[in-house]
Amino acid sequence: MTKSFYNLALLLSISFTVSMAQTIQKPFFTVTGEVLNPLKLTAVDLARLHTVQVNTTDRDGKPHIYTGVKLSEVLDSAGVTLGKELNGENLAKYILVMAADGYEVIFSLPEVDPEFNDQQIIIAYQVDGNPLPNGEGPFRMVVPDEKRLARWIREVTNIKVIFSKE
Amino acid sequence: MLMLGIILLTTSMQRGDHVRSTPYVLDYPAYFGGRFTIPVDNQMTQEIVSLGRMLFYETKLSKSNQISCASCHQQKLAFTDGKQFSVGEGGSLTRRNSMSLANLLWVRSLFWDGRVGSLEEQAIFPLTDPHEMGQSMNEAIEKLNHTTNYPVLFKFAFGTSEITTARITKAIAQFERTLISSDSRYDKYLKGEYLPTEQELRGLNLFMSRPRPEDNVRGANCGHCHGTPKLFKELFHNNGLDIIAQDMGRMEITGQEIDRGRFRVPTLRNIALTSPYMHDGRFNGLEEVLDHYNEHIQQSETLSPFISEATNAINGKSLLLTDTEKTDILAFLHMLTDSTFINNPEFSDPHEKYVQP
Repeated sequence: MTKSFYNLALLLSISFTVSMAQTIQKPFFTVTGEVLNPLKLTAVDLARLHTVQVNTTDRDGKPHIYTGVKLSEVLDSAGVTLGKELNGENLAKYILVMAADGYEVIFSLPEVDPEFNDQQIIIAYQVDGNPLPNGEGPFRMVVPDEKRLARWIREVTNIKVIFSKE
Repeated sequence: MLMLGIILLTTSMQRGDHVRSTPYVLDYPAYFGGRFTIPVDNQMTQEIVSLGRMLFYETKLSKSNQISCASCHQQKLAFTDGKQFSVGEGGSLTRRNSMSLANLLWVRSLFWDGRVGSLEEQAIFPLTDPHEMGQSMNEAIEKLNHTTNYPVLFKFAFGTSEITTARITKAIAQFERTLISSDSRYDKYLKGEYLPTEQELRGLNLFMSRPRPEDNVRGANCGHCHGTPKLFKELFHNNGLDIIAQDMGRMEITGQEIDRGRFRVPTLRNIALTSPYMHDGRFNGLEEVLDHYNEHIQQSETLSPFISEATNAINGKSLLLTDTEKTDILAFLHMLTDSTFINNPEFSDPHEKYVQP
């Protein structure tokens, strides 16, 4: 009796662990909104894009090497109107980047588009060769040319392209 | 109530119209900003707001006819209930602490875990949750249909007397959008009508400042999440309550590991009235809350870096506020009590007036 109860408890605890594991997913962020192909990207997916490295200074005032992918390439792969398509009404679109904690910042498409701008805004997944620390990663926006780092948004979970409706 | 219904009906018939839609104009200070959305299919009218107020205080919306929204959201307590967990149908307890309903107009992700994006969607949960009001919407509609007043009130509000789930939740949502708290001493200070004491000012500065010991700037960093005149930002954080979170919080909604133990940052308006504190009501007093942030932060992988990084000493490991500084912050927190809000007759129980002597 005791043993069968123990077995039942064990079975229940295993099935609970399994069901919890199923609900926890590999870290990802989504690209949604005015896109042709909505995306859900994990670190494995980012590894398939061109890797870029940016040498810049974080809040700590020290130089760091951030490794990631260009935001423009991610948007391009989602079918966002960049390059030749970034004209007319498409110039009234903006990018809302959201973090796990609810923090939000916006970029305009020309800020990101390499045909407009040389600055390399990246979605970083490594700093100095290591994964980003807890609370920053797994994905963080790095905006190297900016003087205040308020748009270096940590724990990115969603990038949404939106039409201004004004 | 029957009297009111008859009077309203008579007035309407005399005017020869069935829908009386008087626009409800929301009145709020400019410093709250306009980042809110009112659903296009639920534009605010005075008739729907007053129906919503009736429903908010209506015990027939619960299985036992004993519980209304107001049972756990009492005006005198800034629409909380003073309990660690609320008591629902059959004496069962809710899973989390009752949240204040002040300034929900600006809240975009409701509940402690942010699971819904509109007040219309929100209302269904407590109405039907077996640990809260515990009644199916069909039963609720049936009960309201058997009253003399509600079919009439629904007709005034929506044009026909049909009572539906959508109409019930729309009306409750509209009433909740009117619950604006903007007349505390802090508001009067922001409007230039109140001169804070020195202690309140010291508390305000500590509350809003990020500590920078290298520049000799002291701060409690509260404003990082509870800043702006609204006294909350639309954020979710693990605020270091437990090494191993018992309640997964936002992770239950997003499925993302980085959300383990994260909960909504609630507004601190009327905070002196809304004890106990935290999603599980574990702290009874504001002193305990300040002690938590100052001395008892529990490390975990999802602890907010904005909490773990804040310290008033170079290489400090905790916030390191002094007892005097804590008392200053308490003085500021008491500035946030809005007695106009908790006594506003427009937010009170409309049924009480019609009780027979």
